[in-house]
Amino acid sequence: MFEFFIFIILPLITSLICYFIKNLRIQYCISLVPGILHFGLALCIFIGFYHTNLPFLFGIDALSKLWILILSNVYFWVVLVSYSYLKRPVNSKAEAGKQYYFLLLNFYLAANSAAILSNHFGMYWVAVEATTLSVAPLIYFYRNEEALEAMWKYLFLISIGIAFAFIGILFLTLSAKGTILEGKQLFFWEFIKNAGQLNPIWLKASFVFIFVGLSTKIGLAPMQSGDIDATSNAPSPIAALMSGSLRITALLGVLRILEIIRPTATYEFAKLIMIIGGMLSIFVAFVFMFKVNNYKRMLAYSSVEHLGIITLGIGIGGLAFIGAIYHAIYNSITKVILFLTAGNIHSRYQSREVSKVTSVMKLMPVTGWLFLISFFAISGIPPSGIFFSEIKIFEGILFSTKPGLLFIAMFFLLFIFINMGKIIFSMLYNKGTNDKQDNSIEKFEFIHFVTIALLIILIALAIISPDILFNRISSIGKDFGINL
Amino acid sequence: MGNVLSILFCLSLFYVCITSRVKGFVTVLRIQGILLSIIIVIPFIYHFSVFGIILPVTILLVKVYLIPKYINKIILDLDIKRMIEPTIQQFSFLLLVIVTMTVIFIVTHILSQSTELNVIPFASGFSAIIIGIYIIMFRKKLIVHVAGFLILENGIFLFGTSVASELPVMIEMGMLLDVFVVVFLMGIAINNISTTLSGFDVTALGRLKD
Repeated sequence: MFEFFIFIILPLITSLICYFIKNLRIQYCISLVPGILHFGLALCIFIGFYHTNLPFLFGIDALSKLWILILSNVYFWVVLVSYSYLKRPVNSKAEAGKQYYFLLLNFYLAANSAAILSNHFGMYWVAVEATTLSVAPLIYFYRNEEALEAMWKYLFLISIGIAFAFIGILFLTLSAKGTILEGKQLFFWEFIKNAGQLNPIWLKASFVFIFVGLSTKIGLAPMQSGDIDATSNAPSPIAALMSGSLRITALLGVLRILEIIRPTATYEFAKLIMIIGGMLSIFVAFVFMFKVNNYKRMLAYSSVEHLGIITLGIGIGGLAFIGAIYHAIYNSITKVILFLTAGNIHSRYQSREVSKVTSVMKLMPVTGWLFLISFFAISGIPPSGIFFSEIKIFEGILFSTKPGLLFIAMFFLLFIFINMGKIIFSMLYNKGTNDKQDNSIEKFEFIHFVTIALLIILIALAIISPDILFNRISSIGKDFGINL
Repeated sequence: MGNVLSILFCLSLFYVCITSRVKGFVTVLRIQGILLSIIIVIPFIYHFSVFGIILPVTILLVKVYLIPKYINKIILDLDIKRMIEPTIQQFSFLLLVIVTMTVIFIVTHILSQSTELNVIPFASGFSAIIIGIYIIMFRKKLIVHVAGFLILENGIFLFGTSVASELPVMIEMGMLLDVFVVVFLMGIAINNISTTLSGFDVTALGRLKD
């Protein structure tokens, strides 16, 4: 029960405390407590120092052990930089809205933890919807027209998507009619154990609805629009949180249903749907990278691309599946770095348009270098972890029954890299007309320290590749029938 | 009894197609909320339990009282015009809905031969889901979109009653709470859209493009 308190109850309590305390600094200090404890406990559970005993509707397996650690890691760094981000000047309306920032952030932690730790489809659904409710007001942080539109679209599209996922859950119930699961609860593990008895037609329908519904939240094409608008208009720490943790929480739902489907004849169909979803997402990112003129939207499309790669890897299975799980870890860390540095640029230039951001390397050398390095990291240039995970995915595709997909995917990825590079290099090195008006050089800030620390973690994880990480990912693979 | 109430639920969907007044949607939401509460309470008439009563009472509170009252408040506060401003004619919309419902009922009947299904509530619920999406697609006003979303949610609820007895009351309550908060946030957003973007319909939302 201790872990239930730390993961879910404590963030709810701190969220409530943040409602009554108006001082931002105190709210920040209070929010750090669940952030640190959550991270520490998630790490202990992951390593195996602590054994869990969660209450009814909750449980933990190899997949949720890793997912809760990814969430903890992203949340910890985001909450750590939040105060220095909030100190930056904003308009008066946004200033008034700052008091709800930590309240919603803590609520998000509780909701997302509940989603990851749930072992019941109903509980998972309620918690995932709660994450939408906690993030939506944070998207409206800047209180401007774009933020308002982004919040509306996110709230509306995701709610409809989640409603579709619920229809999928109901279809799953139907698939259990006439089996020993009928009339019992919708527990993942019960379904996994008795998957062979499920009705294949309803199981297929269930997978399609859950996958399409959750795609709105994962940000997979063609359901990505709400997520793109939200990620690009939210304040940078929130965008980092969404790209680094929220998308993969939605992916967890797809993985759960896939785990149920695995021993059945529907598995090949589900894999095909995932491959199509993954390839389509990479294709959409490829197309939009040619025309995007907003650097935060560019990063949002990069998230679509990488979630597409992960989905493709999962769909292919085998080594590509293992690579996809590694990719989820590395992508989450890299996205935090990218969005935090993009936030620094936005604070200085007050614009997200690429054409209005020039001479970043000259005026913001630290941010500029970090942005450049993180661009190389997300593009899979070694020694970034993304390089190693992509190699695994590509190798998996090459030796699968569909090796042709590798060449198509690599063609798209090459042009995504070129177009992203063009945009980023123009921001870093192009000279603008307004450079002389404000040519003060930026100072080294706390956010820089955090992004450097994250870069070190990213590279160290990839180079050292701890055995414990490999063992845990192998355990996840075993749950999906993959033996390395 | 459940079948009769489901058919009444379907009739409320027809009314949604032909009404041209925003308040008509609110009335339909109230009626659907009452029908859903009765459908859920029926099994507990002969086997009374306190837990069995909690959910219908909460549905009555949320779907019949709180949400319609909140939507009415938004309509009054923002002085939203009473007409719904459709993008297609009411008659064409009605035809589309009739065709859709016919297809859904036939498909459900076919499916019921291989799986044990309660055809009328199942098909009625699924019809409401599709019609909710149609309303979002073919109506301009954002407040009507919210009503469309709620009709979709009601459809899922009805659909759920026909297939699942697996969800604990606690989770059903959580779902209701989630829906209520979604509507509450949508209301706040509409309020802000009307002041910041000077409009109540989807044409006010076109800034975010590539």
